[in-house]
Formats: sequence, C-alpha cells, structure tokens
Amino acid sequence: MWTPLQRKKLKQKLQLPERSASKDIELKEQSISPLLNDCLSLFKNIYSVPDNKDVQIRELTINKLEMQAAAVFINTIADTKEVEDRVIQPLLLNRDENKQITDIVTAQTVKTVTIVKDAMAEINNGNTVVFVEGMTKCFVLNTSNFQSRAISNAEDEVILKGPKEAFNEKAVTNISLVRKKIRNENLIVESVEISKRSKNEVFVLYIKDLVNDELLGNIKKRLSSLNADAIQNLSLLEQYIEERQLSLFPSILYTERPDRAASFLEDGHIVLLMDNSPASLILPATFWSFFHTPEEHYLRFPFGNITRALRMAALFIALFTSAIYVSITNYHSEMIPPDLLLAIASTREKVPFPAVVEILIMEVAFELIREAGLRVPNPIGPTIGIVGALILGEAAVSANIISPIVIIVVALGGLCSFSVSDINLNYAVRFIKFIFISAAGIFGIYGMTALFIMGIFYLVSLKSFGVPYLAPLSPKYVSSGDTMFRTLLKNEVFRPGYLKPKDIVKKGGEN
Amino acid sequence: MEKRKICNALILLLIALALTGCWDKKEVEQKAYVIGLGLDKSEDKGPINVTLLIANPEVGSQQTGGAQNEPVQEIITLPANDFISVKNTANVVVARELSYDLMEIIIVSEEFAKEKEFIRWMYDAAKEREIRRDIFLAVSKEKASEFIKKNKPKVETRPHKYFQFMIRQGIQTGLIPKSDLHRFFKVTEQDADLFLAMYISSKKDESTTFGNVDQYLPGELDISGSSNQTQFIGSAVFKEGIMIGKLNGQETRIAQTFDNTSNISNVMVTYPDPFDEDYKIAIRLIKKHPVDVKMSLQNGRLNINMEVPFTVEVLTDPSMANYATDSEKVKILKEHLQSTLEKSALNFIKKTQEELKGNPFSLSLHGRRLFSTIPEYEDFDWMKSYPEADINVKVKMELGEFGKQTKVIDLEKVRD
Repeated sequence: MWTPLQRKKLKQKLQLPERSASKDIELKEQSISPLLNDCLSLFKNIYSVPDNKDVQIRELTINKLEMQAAAVFINTIADTKEVEDRVIQPLLLNRDENKQITDIVTAQTVKTVTIVKDAMAEINNGNTVVFVEGMTKCFVLNTSNFQSRAISNAEDEVILKGPKEAFNEKAVTNISLVRKKIRNENLIVESVEISKRSKNEVFVLYIKDLVNDELLGNIKKRLSSLNADAIQNLSLLEQYIEERQLSLFPSILYTERPDRAASFLEDGHIVLLMDNSPASLILPATFWSFFHTPEEHYLRFPFGNITRALRMAALFIALFTSAIYVSITNYHSEMIPPDLLLAIASTREKVPFPAVVEILIMEVAFELIREAGLRVPNPIGPTIGIVGALILGEAAVSANIISPIVIIVVALGGLCSFSVSDINLNYAVRFIKFIFISAAGIFGIYGMTALFIMGIFYLVSLKSFGVPYLAPLSPKYVSSGDTMFRTLLKNEVFRPGYLKPKDIVKKGGEN
Repeated sequence: MEKRKICNALILLLIALALTGCWDKKEVEQKAYVIGLGLDKSEDKGPINVTLLIANPEVGSQQTGGAQNEPVQEIITLPANDFISVKNTANVVVARELSYDLMEIIIVSEEFAKEKEFIRWMYDAAKEREIRRDIFLAVSKEKASEFIKKNKPKVETRPHKYFQFMIRQGIQTGLIPKSDLHRFFKVTEQDADLFLAMYISSKKDESTTFGNVDQYLPGELDISGSSNQTQFIGSAVFKEGIMIGKLNGQETRIAQTFDNTSNISNVMVTYPDPFDEDYKIAIRLIKKHPVDVKMSLQNGRLNINMEVPFTVEVLTDPSMANYATDSEKVKILKEHLQSTLEKSALNFIKKTQEELKGNPFSLSLHGRRLFSTIPEYEDFDWMKSYPEADINVKVKMELGEFGKQTKVIDLEKVRD
C-alpha cells in the first residue's frame, strides 16, 4: 500500500498530467433538479450523449397526468423489452388521472433517489431511471440484464459422482446456485463496494447463526478498506486480501463448485462472490481444504479414503522422487539394490551431464510442455503431445542427453503432481519440487530432510484469517476429523472448532 | 526493518551453504564397484595381497545399448599394506574411483585365516565407512586370488548376482553359516563362542570317497557336467579371530539348528532307513520353535540340557514299508529318527568339546542368565569352561506329513 507521501513523491517524479476532477465531483454530488431540461442536459453531459451510443434517453409525456418525463437507460445492459413493456408503455397508455407514477409502471421494484450520483449508479447497473418535470426525485426501475454465459459443467474441479454445475460469471446466478443448496433464511448475502472507479461489488455470503462475528467483521473491514480504482474479479481480489502475498502456500480457497461453497458455508466459513468470476473465494482456508476434493465425501467411505491415501502418496511422490533420485545417485549410492545401481550407472555411462542437471533439464522440459499445452490454441493441440512424448522422451534418450531412468522419475513426479487438484497448491508443489532438487543436489538426503523440516515449521506458523494452517490436526481443535482421512458421515458431528462457530454441533449423533 | 532481517538471514544461509556442500558428491558412473575382495598372505612383496573383483555395470544391466562385448568383470591382484588404501593404489590400473558400496563378500584364504595377525587386517573393515556389516566373510581352501580367478559362473554371469543368490540359497539350506562381518566382530568380541565362516573352494579335491552326502567339505563333492566347479559347503571355525578348524556340511547344519540366533527353518537330509539297512530315507526337518536350553552350575561345573524341537516330514519310502498307514511302524520310525538325530548331535557336541574347545552355536547367551553381575560372568570364562561341561541333547520330535501320496505300492504283489 502506498502512503500519501510516497504517492506525492511518485507524482512529482513522473509529472503526471493529472486534471482536477473536483468540478465533476461537485456536479455529481448535487440533488436532482426539478427542471427536466436542466436535468437531462446534465445527464447528457455526463454520459457524453450522443457520442456514447448505448445510452438512451426517451422523452415522453405521461398520458392523463400530462407530465413531461424522460427515461434514461443503457440499452446494452438493460433488458430493452422490459423497459418497453413495463416502463414506457404503461406511462404512455395511462388511463387514470389520479394514479401515482409508482403505481403506473409495472417494473418489479421501484425506488426513488434524489442525488445525481445515486441515479447514475443505478443507470450504470442497467436499471432505468425516470425523471419527471417538477420533481426533485427520480424513479429507479429494475430492468438490469447483463449478458453472460449459461451455467456449464465444472471444468477445473472435475468429479465423477456428484453435482456437475459450476459457477459462471454472473454473481446473481452464483448466489442462486448457492441458495438452491441452502434453503434457509439465515443465509445472508451482503454486498460491499470495493473499488472507486469501476464500483466493483463483492457479495459476502455467510450463515447468520453460524458464522463467528469477529471473523465476519474482520473480513468486512478488510474488504471495505480496499482502495483501488478497479478490482475486476475474485482472482485479483484474492491477492488484495490475503495475508501473505509472497507465500508459496495459498490461504484462500478458490473454487468453481457451488456445492463446495455451500458445504463450507454450512461449516461456518465465509464465501465471497463477484461478477465476472466463475468461482467463489472461501475463507478462512486450511491446508486440508486445498488437499481435499468434494469427491471424497460423495464417494462411499472406503473409496473416499483410498482416494485420499492415493493423493497423499502422490503429493509426496511429486515432491520427492526427483530429489531422491538426485541425492541417492550423488551421495548415498549404497542405499539402492546393486542391480538398480549398476543399471543406473550403466545408463548414465554416456550421458554428459551430472545427475542434477539431467533431472533439471527434464523437469524444465516437463514444465514447458505443461505451460505450452495450456496456452496452445485447440487446433494445434496434438502437436504438443508429439513434441513432448517423441522428441523430449525418446529422442533425448537415444541422443544420450538423458538416461531413461530419469524420464521415468520425472514423468512419475509430473503425473503425481496432477492429482493435487487445487491450482494454487498445485503450483506450490511444482515449485517446491525444484527447491527440493537443489537441496538434494547440494546436501543429499540430509538437505532434503532439513528443507522438509523447515517447510513443516513454516506451515505450522502460517495462518489464514487467524486460523492455523494445519488445524484441526495441529493445533488440535474440535472438528469432524476431516484431515488426511475422513470419518463416517454419521460421525461427522462437529463443525470445525477453529472457526469458533456459534453452533458447533452439526448433528446430534444417531437417532 | 523486517525485510532487512530476512535479507540478512538469507545471506547467512547462503554463506552456510558454502561451508559444507557437495564435496563428497560423486556420480554413480564415475565409480568402479568392487563386488568381492580377496585377502591373501603375501610371500615377499608386502604384508598382504589384495584381489579386487570389479563389476562392469555396462554388461547385462540394460536391454539395449551398453557394451555387450566387454567382459562382465575385472579382476586385479596387487600387494598392499591394507585393503583400504588399495582403493587408491588400484587406480594405477583401474580408471575409476573404487567403491566398496556394493561389496558382497570378503574372501580370505585358509592359509591367511590361520595367521595370528589375521584379525588386525579384518578390523580395517570396521573402520571403512563404505564397508557394511552385512558383507559376508568366506574362507577359501585355496588362495583367495586363485578362487576369484577360477570362479566362473555360467548362468549368473554378473558377479554380484552370483554371490547374492549363492549365499542366500546356501544359508537357507543350512550348508553354509550366515557369516556376516557383524557376527564376526560380535562373536570375537564376546570371546565366549566360536564363529563360523562359510567355507568355499573352486578346486576339485579328487582324493575323497563317497560318504554321506552332506558330510563334505568344499571341492569334495564329485560334480560333473558343464557347471562352474565352485562349491560352497561347510564352515571354517574361528576362535578368537583365528581359524582353528572346519566343519563339514552336516555339522554346520547341526550347529545352526542349535543356534537360536540363526533363522534356519527347514532343511532336507537323509538318514538310514529303519526297515532296510541298504536304503536311506529323505526327511525334511522343520524347526518351528527355538531350542530350549536349561543350564545349571554345580560346584563350578556346567550342566546343560538342550531340547531341540523338530517337526519331521518323511519324504521317501525306499523300503516300501508303507509306514504312514501303520502306527506300529510309525513308532519304530520315530524312535529310530530320534536316536539317530540325538546320536549325531552328541557326536557333534563331543567334537566341539574335544577338538574345537568351544561352541559355535551361541550357547554363552543362555549362560549369561546364571550370573547376576557382568564381572562374575567374565570371571567364569565361558570359553574355558565349555569343554568340561556335561551336555545332554534331547530331540523332541513330531511327525508331520508323509509326502504327497502317503501309500506306496506293495512291491511283492506287483512283481509276483
């Protein structure tokens, strides 16, 4: 965050051509003029009509009341049919002299505002504002309709058994998806404006009689203290509100699955939703929430736990195989069976690089394939497979650049890293793997152990919004014990104690 | 402030990296792996002659590539003061750094093992980091260098595989003892029991006549065919780090069945058939429980009662006596086997008491219970007391199966 002094210095240094906006601000702060013409010219000025093509001003005379009026809306974000059917037509075809305007229009909600700034905010949100000659207020009619795609399948967090729908870019839809799962009047959707210029809005979802008020207050305070011109979506917001921006480990869970968001809400977590983000942010988050997928609860008890065990093994394989290969071949060759050692020695006979370099070449190549595969346009996609498998695998071995065992080691590690589905943790694991490889290259197994212990120290010291990162495993809290493995559903009796929810008991055991 | 602290810590950490680091780093292919080490007494050139058996990793470990025309192993013999500094001396002829990481076996010639000074060189193995305590110690009848040169396995061409399998199988059948370095040091330092090392030879001994199959020393078994002539059978007996005698295959087996620290569990042997003197029956001895040893001390004289539990499976029936169906015959068979086993056990014990003057089956471990303090035990001097002890051996036998098909044909009826 910039201090005012720093900001001033920066301005002086850059000599920014800034123009004072105080006149504009003054215009926007005034109340609505009773003279329709003044009022309209003000709005035309602000919205640069007629340069600005999609801002529409429809002037009309209200039938029977014989009053001059004008409807202002932006036709790209308002439902024009709605504007026509519910606002303009009723006004034009009014047959009763004594009716109030609020009774004439048939829009879903009608409210009145008196300040120019507020009226503008409504127009910017796709609503229609009706100004009437002689009135110091205007009517806001709900006609907003932003374009968005339809609800589609979850693409990043795929599961086999369970709901398939995912959040899309429209917050209203997303809230609806959550409400579909929690039909409870205590589910609160609050909105907080977080940016000054683009007026981005964040929806804070929580369950009123579960959430810890201190936590909620803390999060709301952090949201409203943001001071940025625009924060377009949750991926950006996540970086604004997280505590350790430089940490390799994420502290806020980013998920595109409404079922996941709902189950976290029911545990007393807080969910953030936003327009333009096909996802939700869940906070606080612990290490386990990144490690889990909802599938493990949807699968039956034994299969869910087998999946967890597999993922735990995969996590360690992804972190350690390459590093172990490096340290064993360089420092502890007595640790492997003679057959394997001789096989490694024989395959390395004609390779010109030390084992560390060999591993690093392959790891970097693997990361490149992954990155390129992500960015490549669909029609060229198959090339990546050919280049990756044939050229990097086969040819590197026949050209004596890489020994075949290294390919197995790196491929195994790479494959296992995919089983960590959370994108943040996935990146963390992939990056930490390289640190382990260098530690192994310098110190062998000793270095790896030291690094691992330091890593554990760090994990234990981490906190996400006041919640220890490895809770409820360490430190121990009352919880339903959903960490490395899960218990039977009937035994998941408690909400996580580290959230200090208002109601800790989830269910009263067996009936 | 915070940032500066972190920076300082990082710089310190980087400096610390330079303090230690990768100086013992060595790529696997830069080493020459010694699989076997031969030690001989040298006549004139130096104190000892060291023979190194070095594996060539390029042969036989890859499906494609590699150098298939190269020999599978390299053998060099050179005079030396010890077998540690040899690692450098050998570089005069060997291109890579020598490593004892993969060593399987240390072979000592019988001549050298009988030297008083032998143990001085053996303790170098306890000093060298690369030599593990699970390396086996073997004594060769001929010179170790000769043994290694003559030993040419036909099927397991890669030397480490040959020694691995040969030793593992030999230990399982009980014909050679499990003689790793750790046991050698342990038994020598206890100074109460005898250590058995596997006894090997690659030279055929033509002078012997046919005896009972297991009662051989290496080289004595007449094996023909195209196979490698190296034989692993029997054991060399060490007392206080000096070789004092040898045991044949059968004696080695008995010593191991008596020893609760060895895990020999089932062996096949032959004994005279009680129903026909001309034949021998094959039996499988299964030791399911440890030997029960009871000791008492009467007027300074040891009294030892050993009870060896065996389950016996009779595998052949050459006299066609069909004992499986006849409880009378089973009884005879059982008594016969029991007395035969007890007899051979007692003979063996007699040999250890009179000839070797020590026991090779860790009896002192049971004896420690008789004393309340360590000095008392040390004063007793187990090694000296053992030859005078009264030892009784009882075989507690249970009969198990009588082969897959219990009944054999009635020969007289068939040949009528």
